[in-house]
Amino acid sequence: MVLNVRYFAGAKAATGIGDEDFPLHPESTVDDALRMITERHGSAVARVLPACSLLLDGIAVHDKGIRLASGQQLDVLPPFAGG
Amino acid sequence: MPLPPLVEPAAELTKEEVARYSRHLIIPDVGVDGQKRLKNAKVLVVGAGGLGSPALLYLAAAGVGTLGIVEFDVVDESNLQRQVLHGQSDVGRPKAESARDAVAEINPFVKVNLHQLRLDSSNALDVFADYDLILDGTDNFATRYLVNDAAVLLGKPYVWGSIFRFEGQASVFWAEHGPQYRDLYPEPPPPGMVPSCAEGGVLGVLCASIGSIMVTEAIKLITGIGETLLGRLMVYDALEMTYRTIKIRKDPNADKITELIDYEAFCGVVSDDARSAAAGHTITPLELKQKIDAGENFVLVDVREPHEYEIVKIPGSVLIPKDKILSGEALSELPQDRPVVLHCKSGARSAEALAALHQAGFRDAVHVGGGVLAWAREVDPSLPTY
Repeated sequence: MVLNVRYFAGAKAATGIGDEDFPLHPESTVDDALRMITERHGSAVARVLPACSLLLDGIAVHDKGIRLASGQQLDVLPPFAGG
Repeated sequence: MPLPPLVEPAAELTKEEVARYSRHLIIPDVGVDGQKRLKNAKVLVVGAGGLGSPALLYLAAAGVGTLGIVEFDVVDESNLQRQVLHGQSDVGRPKAESARDAVAEINPFVKVNLHQLRLDSSNALDVFADYDLILDGTDNFATRYLVNDAAVLLGKPYVWGSIFRFEGQASVFWAEHGPQYRDLYPEPPPPGMVPSCAEGGVLGVLCASIGSIMVTEAIKLITGIGETLLGRLMVYDALEMTYRTIKIRKDPNADKITELIDYEAFCGVVSDDARSAAAGHTITPLELKQKIDAGENFVLVDVREPHEYEIVKIPGSVLIPKDKILSGEALSELPQDRPVVLHCKSGARSAEALAALHQAGFRDAVHVGGGVLAWAREVDPSLPTY
């Protein structure tokens, strides 16, 4: 089982990559995915994540305890409001 | 998903208009019918700044018949690097008037309505009511949630664009036919965690990249051609020179928008002093947890009110309400020999108190972004929140 994570804006700057895959267990949740992201990329991304909107297959994540399914895509979007 | 044209065609085009718009008229998809729809269209542009500048210029040139401009600011020299509506001689003038003159010079057939006011919950619905379509080029989260909610309540579509440094995003939001802004960003970020363009900078030409996408979407919505960005977010990276699109779907768990609220409170808007104090002096709840677990020597000060402290608190914190810090009354209670970490409910009040502490000489004081709510969310979900 694999989760594809795409990083945008400040999240991309913090991880240095546009997207990557993480292995999933059948029980894995969004929280688990965030932990794996932080373990792999350290404090730079940990600072950005709390402000980010998380879209799981296009739908905003409210409950980070929800289970992930194989083949899903998680978009990590730091907000900005400049105009 | 193809959408029907948003605007009915005007009765006719004059001889002068046919001459002016000939390059549109000979595109079969636009044609006379599309140009008449543009002529009949009423489009409101919120903000005549970075995104509003190219948007207004191209909407005017394209022949949108009525353009509304919401803007209360005056032209500053630092605007000229990207806000191409305004020129050197406009510095110090109201942006709305400068924008009106620039639009008239591009296309005298456009009627311009100026709304020289600060958009808020008391006036947004009235201002929006007369327009078919809204373009949001504002520069702060509070106004962006306001524009969204007003558009949702009125059932109107709007084109949204946002820029920062080298990156831009654009989309079309229309709750009646697809997602809206809150489906993409359900909650505003904790105050002080996201820098504005004034703090972080923006590549001037990025305004044109995103502004032109916004106008393209406006023209498609008005004339009913092509596939709009409704249900998709366009993400542009100028350094990589890439466009990526993200699918956005309606959030089935979203709260229904029933009225306009206090958006400054919702977004935890803080003063400029607090914002600059928080920049570089904000830690995350997880970083606070690490400090506690590592046994670091610091004092954690909760700047909320006693009744809030009773509801939920971070272990080890001491309560000193914000006003006692701002008045200077409580400064003597703070230790000089170890760092101070402030927190409140969401990070707004602690940022204000942080600015006061920095001024009082507590240079290494920091605050917790997102406050006790973020602590409960990220460190200890068993805690109650309010």
